[in-house]
Amino acid sequence: MNMTTPIEKREFKIVGKSVKRDDVLEKVTGEAQYTGDVKLPGMLYGKMKRAAVAHARIKSIDVSKALAYPGVKAVLTHENVPRVLHYGSPHPRSASCTKDQYILDDRVRFWGEGVAAVAAISEEIADEALDLIEVEYEPLPAVFDPDEAVKPGAPILHEVGPGGNLVLDPVRVNRGDVEAGFAEADFVLEGVFSGGRPHPAYMEPNICIADWDGSNKLTVWISTQTSFMVRGILAEVLGLPLTKVRVLVDHMGGGFGAKQDCFQHEFLCALLAKETRRPVKMEFTRHETFVAGRARHPCKVWLKQGFRNDGTIVARDMKLVYDSGAYGSHGPGVTTVGTNAATSLYRCENVRIEGRCVYTNTPITGAFRGYGVVQSYYALDIQMDEAAERLGLDPAEVKLKNAVRQGDIAPSGHAIVGHGLETCIKHGIDAIGWKKLRERDRTPDPKRPHIRKGWGVGCEMHGSSAYPGIKEQGNATVKVNEDGTVTLLTGAAGLGTGAHTALAQIVAEELGVRFEDVGVIHGDTDVVPWDIGAFASHTTYLVGSAAKIAAGKAREAVLERAAMKLQVQVGEIDASEGRVFVIAEPGRFISVAEAIGPSKGIPAANIVGNGTYEPTKSYSFAAHFTEVDVDTETGIVEVKRVIPVHDVGRVIHPIAAQGQIEGGIQQGIGHTLTEDYVIDKKTGRSLNAGLVDYKMPLSMDMPDIETIILEAAPDPGGPWGAKGVGEDPIIAIGPSIANAIHDAIGVRFHHYPITPEDILKALREKDA
Amino acid sequence: MKKIVEFTVNGEPREMTVDTCRSLLDALREEVGLTGTKKGCDVGDCGACTVIVDGEPVNACLMLAVEAEGRSVQTVEGLQPGVDRLHPLQDAFMRHGASQCGFCTPGILMMAKKLLDDNPNPTDEDIRFGLSGNICRCTGYTKIFDAIKSAAREMEAARS
Repeated sequence: MNMTTPIEKREFKIVGKSVKRDDVLEKVTGEAQYTGDVKLPGMLYGKMKRAAVAHARIKSIDVSKALAYPGVKAVLTHENVPRVLHYGSPHPRSASCTKDQYILDDRVRFWGEGVAAVAAISEEIADEALDLIEVEYEPLPAVFDPDEAVKPGAPILHEVGPGGNLVLDPVRVNRGDVEAGFAEADFVLEGVFSGGRPHPAYMEPNICIADWDGSNKLTVWISTQTSFMVRGILAEVLGLPLTKVRVLVDHMGGGFGAKQDCFQHEFLCALLAKETRRPVKMEFTRHETFVAGRARHPCKVWLKQGFRNDGTIVARDMKLVYDSGAYGSHGPGVTTVGTNAATSLYRCENVRIEGRCVYTNTPITGAFRGYGVVQSYYALDIQMDEAAERLGLDPAEVKLKNAVRQGDIAPSGHAIVGHGLETCIKHGIDAIGWKKLRERDRTPDPKRPHIRKGWGVGCEMHGSSAYPGIKEQGNATVKVNEDGTVTLLTGAAGLGTGAHTALAQIVAEELGVRFEDVGVIHGDTDVVPWDIGAFASHTTYLVGSAAKIAAGKAREAVLERAAMKLQVQVGEIDASEGRVFVIAEPGRFISVAEAIGPSKGIPAANIVGNGTYEPTKSYSFAAHFTEVDVDTETGIVEVKRVIPVHDVGRVIHPIAAQGQIEGGIQQGIGHTLTEDYVIDKKTGRSLNAGLVDYKMPLSMDMPDIETIILEAAPDPGGPWGAKGVGEDPIIAIGPSIANAIHDAIGVRFHHYPITPEDILKALREKDA
Repeated sequence: MKKIVEFTVNGEPREMTVDTCRSLLDALREEVGLTGTKKGCDVGDCGACTVIVDGEPVNACLMLAVEAEGRSVQTVEGLQPGVDRLHPLQDAFMRHGASQCGFCTPGILMMAKKLLDDNPNPTDEDIRFGLSGNICRCTGYTKIFDAIKSAAREMEAARS
């Protein structure tokens, strides 16, 4: 029985409408200011020298030639920067994190790690100076595979942490009685699944500019999702109070999670600026964006489940190993979230799941859309499909039967409120005509006999907010100006998702003003309320709720003033579109400006509403129905059509929500078929750190996407029931493609990316 | 070595002194002060720096600034027909949500303009092919295709 609370039917003026995004106006005219567009007088350019060795101790660094090079203003190495051990991920995540990074160390742990930094009067001179820095290394044995890294005698990367190359102690979730569950099973499926190393490949390479003023205050322009976290960690490492660090970020050219670390160059940029007393800009090349950016954790998953003959799951035993690369970064968070997520999606009372995260001498992996869950649900969903296949049942029906329900224990440990997975699956079955597709004539088209068609379904759920890993807090300040316009102050970053527009819609709706009368101020840690950062699909849910609270307080104050001026009781009036009117006599109204303005000896009202919101968690759900063509001659898989069905609770801005889903599908198609940032297994060197060799789906590769958004299961924690949407699509698309490939050619793949070589090899083996 | 380059940017004659090794992209951003054109890779892979030179789309990172001598360059800042008016493509990109982070948008707008200048009624395949050198990582291209089709229709209606 579906116990979900139906969404409240009400008429909205602004929420639910695809209003024009102000930020997009700036973007289409070229006026939008990104960090790289900032130019300061006297600005120097910084560059980093990167190690061409995967694991080594630095015996000596000679910078004398570089320092003497005309135009070079400063050179920094581990010998002249503060030696402060710090977190890579600046989240207040917690106890499970290990401080394992120095700004510069006397040791290199991955090929491409920075060993020195130069500031010069031009980028060209800085680049040339890097070649003049002479580094003598004492090579150390390196380990590139997580399985090897945990064996006794493996080279150890860090002296801190739990040891044995573990980033954190294993994360374990035990519920019910797994052995008893297996004893009840009619059959057991067991498999090993693995995922590659997809890179977010955001369009704007990492960049920052640092400048110190005469009072020894540091200002940093930076492309980051987490400006307050960056402020905190910069202050901690550089030994400054928070009043002496200001972080500015206006527009960002994407991040997808990966721009929520504190990167080496950001500390160095600040230190070079301090040393030279001039502003310094450090911008990654595209190559550096791969090498020194953050990719998704490669992951190996062992999954064994017991099933009954009706398709229900009676036991789940699972082990996950995430490859953190050379530093911990988001490893603890990713492992915790991915491991906990594996308890859910498809119901099972008896679960035993263990997640490990392991250091290797490879580039750092970090936060990336789908945060650990992409890996675990790829395995869960494909094995569910295999169970259906074995039973001769429809996989969509089996997934529906096992779909998580209202009141089930969520990955967060709480009972699920607002569950929409069943609705998504049911809706998709009808929308794509799934039953007919299952019963279709499978004879290949005689005109294209080498093409096999297949359809697959993949499911997911994802939390809006990082609770319980982090107890988040959303904040907002709403100020009513004397002309009746409203200014919203928010610390939430503008990655490009349209979150600021959604927040403005929420404020306008709640306060009763026009959307175009709300201005949004963001991106200055000295001005806006504290914010935890834009991640975990939580901005609309978390900051949106805070904005609604703040706007509600401002509304109360406006109504009180208006009641006084209209000489009625507060309960008799309402506000809408900038007017406060008497409910019984809508013709009797005053404007918000008149309500708060001075009159007859009453001074003007200074109305400011503050909102703070500390949620637990809501879950969004999706089922993706995907059609593929598999070319049995070339091995190329073409995704032809995707029907993504999402439940995101109340939709605030439909076009922006669709945009999140369609963009996530693009990235997920890439993960599943073509994208893998490859690290040489012998040297640790990057093999495809560029946009030509790292293959992403582009305009010619995109399928038709018919996005369906259901407002099926609102979460009472979000504004009018709104939940997150950003991460969901990238999780569901992968297994839907893998399942569709199986439907087309009868071969199961347990890894991604599934390359044409894999397809051809599998077909040969199948024929043999 | 530096050289004086005389060229036209968005209809205005310009003169700049640039290093002979400097790309047109860096010159536009650093010397001319037109930062709308973006640097996504600097090696001609991503299309974020697409500008139109003498009517042809060019990756500004792959052209030397000195090669612009005597030529006419159009950037995203020159796309608006008037101060308070948007090009139909710009307006369609807004309405359709064709821009998310916006970093690829200037390059895609210029490429789309060139596409519609040459082919006022493009098919879906024409649009996909036309944008094959421009990476967008946010949108999945769906809204971009919608916006270009919509702009083409509006421009067609305005002509007839």
